[in-house]
Amino acid sequence: MVDGSAPDMNPQEDITRIRVLYTKGESLRFTGHLDMQRIWERLLRRSSLPVRYSQGFHPRARLNLASALPLGFVSQSELLDFWMNEPLPINEIHSRLSNTAPPGLEIKEVSQATLSEDALQVQMAASEFEVEFFDPQDPEELKEKVDDFLAQDTIMRRRRKKLYDLRPLVLEINVLNRENDEPALQMKLKAEEGATGRPDEVMHELGYENTEYLVCRTKLILSNTLAKVSITQ
Amino acid sequence: MSELNSKQENLRRRVERILPTVVKPGRYVGGELNQVHKAWDSVRTHFALVFPDIYDLGQSNLGIALLYDILNKRADVAAERAFAPWIDMEAAMRDAGIPLFSLENKRALSDFDIIGFSLPYETVYTNFINLLDLSNIPIFSKDRTVEMPLVIAGGQAIYNPEPVAPFVDAFALGEGEEAVLDVVNAYQAWEDKGGSREDLLIRLAEVPGVYVPSLYEVNYHGDGRIASIQPTHPSASLPIDKRIMAELPPPLTHFMVPNVEVVQERVSVEIMRGCTRGCRFCHAGMVNRPIRERSVNDILDTLREGIRQTGYEEVSLLSLSSSDYSQIIPLINGLGDLLREQQVNITLPSLRIESFSGEIMDALQDLSPGGGFTLAPEAGTERMRNVINKPISDAEFFDTVREIFEHDWNTVKLYFMIGHPQETLEDVAAIAELAKETLQIGRRIVGGRARIHLGVSTFIPKPHTPFQWAAFDDPVSIQEKISLLHDRLHGSKVKMTWNDPMASQHEAWLSRGDRRIADVIYKAWQNGARFDAWREHFNIEIWQNAFEDCDLDPDFYGKRARDLDEVLPWDHINAGVKKSFLKRDYEWSMEGRIRPDCRQQCYSCGILSSFSELRLAHPDGGWKCP
Repeated sequence: MVDGSAPDMNPQEDITRIRVLYTKGESLRFTGHLDMQRIWERLLRRSSLPVRYSQGFHPRARLNLASALPLGFVSQSELLDFWMNEPLPINEIHSRLSNTAPPGLEIKEVSQATLSEDALQVQMAASEFEVEFFDPQDPEELKEKVDDFLAQDTIMRRRRKKLYDLRPLVLEINVLNRENDEPALQMKLKAEEGATGRPDEVMHELGYENTEYLVCRTKLILSNTLAKVSITQ
Repeated sequence: MSELNSKQENLRRRVERILPTVVKPGRYVGGELNQVHKAWDSVRTHFALVFPDIYDLGQSNLGIALLYDILNKRADVAAERAFAPWIDMEAAMRDAGIPLFSLENKRALSDFDIIGFSLPYETVYTNFINLLDLSNIPIFSKDRTVEMPLVIAGGQAIYNPEPVAPFVDAFALGEGEEAVLDVVNAYQAWEDKGGSREDLLIRLAEVPGVYVPSLYEVNYHGDGRIASIQPTHPSASLPIDKRIMAELPPPLTHFMVPNVEVVQERVSVEIMRGCTRGCRFCHAGMVNRPIRERSVNDILDTLREGIRQTGYEEVSLLSLSSSDYSQIIPLINGLGDLLREQQVNITLPSLRIESFSGEIMDALQDLSPGGGFTLAPEAGTERMRNVINKPISDAEFFDTVREIFEHDWNTVKLYFMIGHPQETLEDVAAIAELAKETLQIGRRIVGGRARIHLGVSTFIPKPHTPFQWAAFDDPVSIQEKISLLHDRLHGSKVKMTWNDPMASQHEAWLSRGDRRIADVIYKAWQNGARFDAWREHFNIEIWQNAFEDCDLDPDFYGKRARDLDEVLPWDHINAGVKKSFLKRDYEWSMEGRIRPDCRQQCYSCGILSSFSELRLAHPDGGWKCP
């Protein structure tokens, strides 16, 4: 408020927490986490939904992205919560978001979340990814590399000068046989606060540079099973 | 898949592979909200709009955005964007044999019909030719064949087109909103009729405001000064008049919203074009005449619609001198309502001291409390301010400063120039005194929160201004003046920033260059010059060597005061203001005589005589000429 006074507060029961499942496509591949937040703030402003804003001279929408996606990855399954000052039908919210979403960001599902839930980042447990290769791969060779990887107990790596063990962060790796006969990888990595596995680290350990493949996040797994998170493709 | 399509797919894939290896790859992918993407084969004419610096800067350029919108509104035209790749990306592209490509369809620039370069300042010239090279298009116009794209250029720098004349097929002088469509029409008419590249150029020369340099011949005196500039073809006019819009065109609301951070992300609306103040150093103030205003309602509607289409959290007003806008108080009040309604912020551009009333500040206070307030006296003494025609007394200046602090602003930014004609060391020292006194006033009113930022730039004589004949100060002398300011400010807590004198000198060489200096630009580029506007890339030695290699004397272009009777390299370009008017104004400056704001009284600068018919045809154009 320009005069510095507090705005009229909505009664607590009218405040609504909305959860959105959305994609991050090609044109957003190189848009980082902070930039995604700004994209969402602007999307919400365009939608004219009754979004809750912070006070002060630079009001910002209250929103909460579940998990940062490393630069260069696409995703079929990103989650975000935002808050509104009053409830609206879910369909209405869905269509208003869809109508103002930028290319590459498709609104897949909108639901209401309970106000008392933890922040999404806190609820994060694991992520699933699929990795496609730009060049043809020998499926047998790939399988061998993966088996070798999984056979190890510890895989010490250094990231940003910090030494850590990658192995316990990797829950699963599978070689997928696609219709086009080109093998791809599917992996499930831990995504807890302070213990998050990165697919590019796994790929590097398997012997691939980041110019040789494309990663797609396919699923986010929350620890709180009460929250609505059935997000499989 | 056709051969062309597979070649296309191949380029896309090769780009994809190098992107993870470069800094901020989001600059090179396009796909932003409000981007216009047309199927390649669905249009007749492909027009590439190129800003020869990185995406982060070019994407914020309103001129490019306007032309993009205008061109794409035509069903038979697709306008696509390209920017300069940063050093790492250029290296990766050259390694992988990837040419410069457009962001929309990822097409090589050589596939386009017309490539339009924006040349807003001289320090992009090496980037400009580098991008031609990266597009596999010959750098010199004379080497291009009939199947190659037409290369045109526009922008504020090309009111003196000569330094880049050999690289450009045709220049569009002045305001481009209509001219760009005329160029497309001329191109299509040429295609329909068939013909040589020269036929195309002749056709373009017949478009008002279009200058085709290859149709003019420049003759020199033995000492390097110009003897004459003559057309060599009946279709080439002399002079070439710039284009203007009789009234400001509908403002842009369909702004693209980048997916990665760029320098300016906001809804910008031009509240007026042109300026009547007549500061003698100011290129923009001279070449953008006449002054035309947009209505308050138009501005507010534009901002509201722009916010709706972008979701931006910030709006901005564009003009050369916003406080001169005749409806400034109603505008500021309307903005206050808009900001509250839309929960957005505002940035305010340059505000002039003498047009500042307490009333404006009262109104402004409502919009952006705290924050900084910018004042640009440009010179330290009253005498010097009369010379440059920015007259304000010290007393008036300090009154304004007091008023600012009393309205609870804590930070005042002061902009000055050094190196003005007739400047003495006393004039320079006075800048420091003024800044210190401003800080003292601030401390008395708001206490320790008062902050002064002092920005000191170097005067560069610009074409089409009253100071176009003046000498550029010597870099050694400029350095002395900067040191003097440092000494005088020592221990004062006034923060000072300044320009590199060598970079200013470089700009001075190019600003008033002739056609021969194109060889210097070419040589400098060959020796690695690019991103000259970037402090970390600018290298004066490359330029000094290039002058030597071309057997040209840089001081001929920089330090040398021009003779009042000399033929200037841009004399064939009519920016609307007559040379005789500029000459008289220069003489007045030497007498310390000021010329008041011309909205009170017309001084016949030449604008009205150049465009009288246009004004008569558009009586509601919002012109502020008396």
